[in-house]
Amino acid sequence: MDLNPCMKHQLIRKTVREFAENEIRPRAAEMDKGPGFPDDLMEKMKPLHYFGLQVPGHLGGADLDTVSYAIVVEEISRVSAALGLCITVHNSVGIYPILRFGTREQKQQFVPPMAAGESIGAFCLTEANAGSDAGGVETVARETAHGFVINGTKIFVTNGGICGTILVFAVSDSDPGKPGVFIVENHTPGFSVGEIEDLCGMRANPVASLFFEDCAIPADHCLGIPGQGLKIGLTALDTGRIGIAAQALGIAQAAFEESVSYAQARQQFNKPISRFQTIQNYLADMAVQIDAARLLLYRAADVKDTGRPFSAEAAMAKLHCSTTARMVTDLAVQIHGGYGYSREYDVERYFRDAKVTEIYEGTSEIQRMVIARHILTRPT
Amino acid sequence: MKILTTVKKVVDVELNIHVENGAIMEKGLQYVINAWDENAVEAAVQLKEAHKAETTLVSLGSGDNTDIIRKCYAMGIDNAIHIDDPALAKADSQIFARVLQRVYEAGDYDLVITGKQAQDTDAGQAGIMLGEFLGIPCVSNVIEIKVTDDTHIQVSRLGDAGTEIVDLTLPAVVTVSDSINEPRLPAMRGIMMAKKKKITVMDLAGLGTSFEEVGGTARKSEIVEFMAQEKRKGGRKFEGDPAEITAKVVQLLVNEAKVL
Ligand SMILES: Cc1cc2nc3c(=O)[nH]c(=O)nc-3n(C[C@H](O)[C@H](O)[C@H](O)COP(=O)(O)OP(=O)(O)OC[C@H]3O[C@@H](n4cnc5c(N)ncnc54)[C@H](O)[C@@H]3O)c2cc1C
Repeated sequence: MDLNPCMKHQLIRKTVREFAENEIRPRAAEMDKGPGFPDDLMEKMKPLHYFGLQVPGHLGGADLDTVSYAIVVEEISRVSAALGLCITVHNSVGIYPILRFGTREQKQQFVPPMAAGESIGAFCLTEANAGSDAGGVETVARETAHGFVINGTKIFVTNGGICGTILVFAVSDSDPGKPGVFIVENHTPGFSVGEIEDLCGMRANPVASLFFEDCAIPADHCLGIPGQGLKIGLTALDTGRIGIAAQALGIAQAAFEESVSYAQARQQFNKPISRFQTIQNYLADMAVQIDAARLLLYRAADVKDTGRPFSAEAAMAKLHCSTTARMVTDLAVQIHGGYGYSREYDVERYFRDAKVTEIYEGTSEIQRMVIARHILTRPT
Repeated sequence: MKILTTVKKVVDVELNIHVENGAIMEKGLQYVINAWDENAVEAAVQLKEAHKAETTLVSLGSGDNTDIIRKCYAMGIDNAIHIDDPALAKADSQIFARVLQRVYEAGDYDLVITGKQAQDTDAGQAGIMLGEFLGIPCVSNVIEIKVTDDTHIQVSRLGDAGTEIVDLTLPAVVTVSDSINEPRLPAMRGIMMAKKKKITVMDLAGLGTSFEEVGGTARKSEIVEFMAQEKRKGGRKFEGDPAEITAKVVQLLVNEAKVL
C-alpha cells in the first residue's frame, strides 16, 4: 500500500500552490472584504482549467482524477477558502450532475461554457423551510406543453451573485413526492438574484438568494428522468462533500502553518512560545488531526476513482475534515493570542471561514446520519 | 520546424546544501529544472503554438529525471529523450556538448534552444560548444526569437551596451536569457496528459556512442573540490527618528563596515 503521493499528484500540488501563492495570496485578505472575485484573477484561472477540473477533454476540461481534484481545491482553499468554495461548488455540484445524469445534448450544450469558466455553476436545494430536510422543498416545476415553468425562492446559494448555469431542485406540481433537478440559465426571463448574504466567513463568495418567477424552460432542461431529483441531489452531494472536505483541509493546513511559524517567532518569558509544552501539545494535536483528515479525504477520492460506492467515505472525510478545520483554526487563534483575533492576521479569517464547512453540503449531524445508515445497513 | 531543447536537472539552490569533505551530500537534496532551461522550454512551446513547430526535449544525466520531464510535457513539449548513463555523472560541459551533438545528429532538427547557463554550475558552455561541434551558428543570451521563414529566424541578443538583432540561417543554436519569457504554469489538462506520454530513455550505447567516444576517458577538466558559499548574515534594522537613524547608519558605514 503506497500512501505517498505519486509524481503527478506532486506536480499538481506544486503547480496549484505556485499559482495560489503568486496570484491569490496577495489579494486574499482584500477579497475577504467581498463580495466578489477580481475579474482578472478569474480570467487567469480559465486557461489553466480550474473551471473544468474533472470535465473530459472533449468537453474542454482537464479530466482530473478525484485525488488530483481534491488537491487542487485544498491548495486554493489554503490561500482563499471563499475562492476554493467557488471552484468546488462549480465543479462538483454544478458540473458533475450534468456529466453524470445529463443526455449527450445536455452535456454538449451546458458543460463546455462551464468548463471554460464562462458560465459559473450553482446548485440550489436550500429554501426557507428546507435545509437538512430536502423533503421540505416548496419550489415547484409545473409541466406545460413546451417544458416546465419554475416558481420559488432558493436561499444561501453559493456563487449566487455570479452564476450562469443553475441546477434547481424543485417538486412537480402533479406529484410533490417526485422532485426533479432542472437546469436554468441566468438569462431566463423570470430569474433574478436577491441580496448577497452578509456572512461571517467566506465573504468573497457572493452567496445569495435566487428568485424564480414563472421561469419557463424547455423540456430538455430537466436533468435525468423527471422524479429522479432526490437521487441526483444525493449523488451530487456525495461528490460535493469530497470538495468541501478538501476545502476544510486547506483551511486547517493554512492555520497550522501560520501557527508553527508564529509559535517559533513570538517570545514570551524570554523564549519562543513554541518552547512551552502546552503550545507544543496544541501543535501536535493539530498535526495529527490534519494528517488523519488528509488520509480520509484521499481514501474517499480514491474509492470514487475506482468506481466503488463512496457515499460513506465521503461523509466521513467531510465530517472529519470540517471538524478539524474548526478545531485547528480555533487553536491557531489561541496560539496567536490577541493578534489572532485581529484582522491584521490571516488566522482570524481562517477561523471565520472554517465554521461553515460544518454546515453546508450536509451539516455534521447529517454526515453522522449518513455514516450510521451505512454502518447499520451494510452487511458485516 | 523541428526544435530540440535541452533540460538539466539541478539541485534546488534555495534549499540548504550540505557539504562534507569537499563534496555535496546527496541526502536531503531536492531537484528542479534549471531555471534557464524552463525559459528554453517555454520559448520552444511558444514557437510550437505560433508556427506548428515540433518540440523535442533532451535531458542528460544519470538517475530518474521523470519528474522534470513530465513538467515539460505538461508545459506542451511533444517528445522527450533522456540519456541516462551512469558515466555521465563524471562528465564536464564538453562531454555533455558531445552527447548533445549525437542526439542532434540522430534527429533532424532545425533549431536547438538551450538555457544560457545552468543554475548549479553557471558554466554556460554546453550550448555554445554544441554549435561549434556541429559547425552551425550559435547566438547566446537571446531575449527574443522571431521566425522569418522556414529556414531563417531573427533573434535579439542582449549585450552590455544594448540589444543586437541577428539574422540566423537554420540550423542554429540559441541559448536564451531568463528575460526572454515568463515560463507558464502547466494547465491542469497538460499535467494529466503528461502522465500518458512516453519518455524515450537510452544510455550512451543506445545512442550509438560510448563514454570514450564522447571524450569521457580523455577528459581534461575535473572538479576536485566543492566549497559551499558562505551564508549571508542577516541585515540590521534601525527604527526611530529618520534623522537620528541616518546619522547612526553613516557612522556605522564609516567605522564598522569601513565602506565610506
Ligand atoms: C455560506 C453558505 C453557502 C451555502 N451554499 C448552498 C448552496 O450552494 N446550495 C444550497 O442548496 N444550500 C447552500 N447552503 C445551505 C446549507 O446547505 C444549509 O444551511 C444546510 O444544509 C443546513 O440547513 P439549515 O440551514 O436549514 O439548517 P437546519 O436544517 O434547520 O438545521 C439546524 C440544525 O438542526 C440539525 N438537524 C436538522 N435535522 C436533523 C436531524 N434529523 N437530526 C439531527 N440534527 C438535525 C442540523 O444539523 C443543524 O444543526 C449554504 C449555506 C451557507 C451558510
